[in-house]
Amino acid sequence: MSAPKTIPKDAQVMIQILKDMGITEYEPRVINQMLEFTYRYVTTIIEDAKIYATHAKKSNVDADDIKLAIQCRMDQSFTSPPPRDFLLEVARQKNQTPLPLIKPYTGPRLPPDRYCLTAPNYRLKSIQKKVSSSAGRISVPRLSVGAVSSRPSTPTLGTPSVQSVTTKVGTPVSLTGQRFTVQIPPLTINVFTFATPSTPAVSNVLINPSLIGSKNILITTNMVSQNTGGESLKRKHEDDDDYDAL
Amino acid sequence: FRAVPDDGGLVDADEDKDIKTEASNDSWGNNNANDGRLLSPSPGSSASAGSNKSAAGASEEQQTLLAVLQFLRKNKLTESVEILRREAGLPEDSLEPKGADSLLSRVTASSTAGAQAPTKVAAGEDQPDVNVVLSAYSQQGDPALYEVYYSGLKRFIESVLDCHRAELSQVFYPLFVHMYLELVYNNHESEAKAFFEKFSGDQECYYEDDLRVLSSLTKKEHMRGNETLLDFRTSKFVLRISRDSYQLLKRHLQERQNNQIWNIIQEHLYIDIFDGMPRSKSQIDAMSGSLAGEAKREANKAKVYYGLLKEPEIELPLDDEDEEAENEEGKPKKKKPKKDSLGSKSKKQDPNAPSQNRIPLPELKDSDKLDKIMYMKEATKRIRLGPDNLPSICFYSFLNAYQGLTAVDFTDDSSLIAGGFADSTVRVWSVTPKKLRKVKSAADLNLIDKESDDVLERIMDEKTASESKILCGHSGPVYGISFSPDRNYLLSSSEDGTVRLWSLQTFTCLVGYKGHNYPVWDTQFSPHGYYFVSGGHDRVARLWATDHYQPLRMFSGHLADVTCTRFHPNSNYVATGSSDRTIRLWDVLNGNCVRIFTGHKGPIHALAFSPNGKFLASGATDGRVLLWDIGHGLMVGELKGHTDTIYSLRFSRDGEILASGSMDNTVRLWDATKAFDDLETDDFTAATGHIHLQDNSQELLLGTYMTKSTPVIHLHFTRRNLLLAAGAYNP
Repeated sequence: MSAPKTIPKDAQVMIQILKDMGITEYEPRVINQMLEFTYRYVTTIIEDAKIYATHAKKSNVDADDIKLAIQCRMDQSFTSPPPRDFLLEVARQKNQTPLPLIKPYTGPRLPPDRYCLTAPNYRLKSIQKKVSSSAGRISVPRLSVGAVSSRPSTPTLGTPSVQSVTTKVGTPVSLTGQRFTVQIPPLTINVFTFATPSTPAVSNVLINPSLIGSKNILITTNMVSQNTGGESLKRKHEDDDDYDAL
Repeated sequence: FRAVPDDGGLVDADEDKDIKTEASNDSWGNNNANDGRLLSPSPGSSASAGSNKSAAGASEEQQTLLAVLQFLRKNKLTESVEILRREAGLPEDSLEPKGADSLLSRVTASSTAGAQAPTKVAAGEDQPDVNVVLSAYSQQGDPALYEVYYSGLKRFIESVLDCHRAELSQVFYPLFVHMYLELVYNNHESEAKAFFEKFSGDQECYYEDDLRVLSSLTKKEHMRGNETLLDFRTSKFVLRISRDSYQLLKRHLQERQNNQIWNIIQEHLYIDIFDGMPRSKSQIDAMSGSLAGEAKREANKAKVYYGLLKEPEIELPLDDEDEEAENEEGKPKKKKPKKDSLGSKSKKQDPNAPSQNRIPLPELKDSDKLDKIMYMKEATKRIRLGPDNLPSICFYSFLNAYQGLTAVDFTDDSSLIAGGFADSTVRVWSVTPKKLRKVKSAADLNLIDKESDDVLERIMDEKTASESKILCGHSGPVYGISFSPDRNYLLSSSEDGTVRLWSLQTFTCLVGYKGHNYPVWDTQFSPHGYYFVSGGHDRVARLWATDHYQPLRMFSGHLADVTCTRFHPNSNYVATGSSDRTIRLWDVLNGNCVRIFTGHKGPIHALAFSPNGKFLASGATDGRVLLWDIGHGLMVGELKGHTDTIYSLRFSRDGEILASGSMDNTVRLWDATKAFDDLETDDFTAATGHIHLQDNSQELLLGTYMTKSTPVIHLHFTRRNLLLAAGAYNP
């Protein structure tokens, strides 16, 4: 396929702009990027202006509508950092407070849990879907402090055999607690011996065998390592993919 | 503060209230000059063309009259007040001036004391409004005459004696920019363009980039989003001129027809006068280049504790004690306390060192102590470098990065290397044969024997062992990376405005620190851990602690983005390099700026403190490495040689060699001991800050090492003084 003999006028304008701004080295795709941006920006502004014009019950879009559209877009997308005097003022206030003393021997120094990303970011749905791997691991819900417990299950696991097992048991009771709670139906013991197709995702799931047999169990484990279980799933996958890619 | 932005309205050129030199009310006049601009005297014309304010022409007139009214009232000219009010037909309460920025109006409203004006908002800007109008009057020369003023000044300066000419020529650039910006701000587009074309070619070559940006600004609206330029307009450009030259200039400008320029100079320039010989062109060139002129002398006078903190006493294992004692401060247990040390460090408190508890620092944990012992053992095996004993360089090339490698860091013991990429991932590799492992899950941790000796090995999950790990979480290119000194954490800062803390034991993200809402260009952990600093596009650098979700300190003062942030070895100071071509040194204790270093001609991308804490090296896009004495606040050396941006600088472990890596695909080694050697501290004319830089870059250059089309973006000296370098192969 042959390249067009003449560059379209818009592209020529872009080339001229780059030249005027003193940019001499650029990839050819930059022109396309600029054209796309220009097109998108202008159409957005004009569309907004049309909306404002109809809102003001005008039949034609006029300069004021455009100005308003530009102004609104600027405030929304193209914000600029705060002005200097504001920053100086905020800085002055912040710098007045003395540096807080450091408490000794506190383990990993992290902000309160609310501001960390260490809480589990998923909730397990129902207990019927529970499956264990031959390693004897089972997924249990890990709950954050103060959260309502949910019924344990894992979305990745679900074999009919397990379903049938657990239905014999009856629906497990969903327990609420203030501490970390896990619920495992007592019959889980049998489930362990099942040879279930374990995907890599399952094998890393947390289990605490000592929980068997009780309905309301406390897991007082470190938040960080708790999270490992959930996220390591994903991470393991990525590592595998990584190896394949290499 | 800025006043509420509002155009001051019209005036006739011959109003009798003008020509009130607002030199004394500089701060007000300066800031309000931005917004309280008057238009060119055109009798009867309505609101300024293209004004963004919603106020119609009539209300702007009213504003002017109101301002006059307030002024009269303030001066207790009650009769005049009455007459004016009657004649102008002003109602008791005036219109609310519309402020574009409610934030600013809030600030100004709170700052002014109770005013006696009838309206609330107008009361807030009582003071500034008057000054706005009046200063605007005094400012407003005829725009067409700006060219005449400038040419007149040019002719005068060209006619003075040689020795003064160099100094007075410093005035050209700031004057040019300010006059141009005023023309643009007042919507005199054609005059602005003509002015620019005529005089932009005369400016110094190192201002070329700024001038290019200026050439694209032709309307007032263009200026609005450009915070850097707005800051430039409101801040004073600092010039350091000798008293004799200053007298010359003053005398000339105070002549009758040069009043306008004199006003403009007084408004926008701060002339720091010193007694002494006028400086030569080369001296001036060395120090100038920043967006805000040079640094005032007082800015660099604060005392800086640049010494190092005393190393803590560690119970050394008995067999190694004799070896270690040499390198350790503090008193070894078995030896008698000595007054003068075995090494060069003194046992007494270094007067230039901060006290141990000046800022709170975390105490050493057992693992930290073990680390320090390892450090000392390695230090004994360290190679002593020198001009005749250059380090070997081991280069780590990132292949297939497709120009996406944006940040690299090594751990202090060189066991891990981390890379930040434009695809928003962070990858960690193990440099040693030891693989990266994650900590076992909670259930497994319960099963291991906690009393065993190798418990630290047992907690690791062998199944997760791999050469590298990928950390995903950011939503934009990762521009800054930093390992913590204890190798437990990794920080990464990105274009998405957050700084993330990752655990290197679970390889998951622990915290996202949100504060900058704009790209964060650099971040670094403090040498003692716990604190870290980040700097970004919002022109501030912030100091955080890992256990606070908000910053502890905000270092605000730069006029443009903060591109590089580094801690001083004693963790009490932070150096920030910025796009406004200055380097500032901030005190962690109270957030004050204690040093301002100007001289670079381009944005600064690399900073390095010398291991003894006394000196700072900086590299920028102009390809020069500048050396600064922190205690005196002066430039002490200039290393020319690189031809492209310098992205990395590092001193060797004992400070003898300075290595610099740049975009021109080379690593250069410089003799740091020699560069700092010739400094006689008494020799400094610290009063005037004159520097006599020798042009000895060639002698100081010890070696240039080319890479194969790989820009060098990180340098690291191992504990034994082997130089490691990293960059992405870019064919």
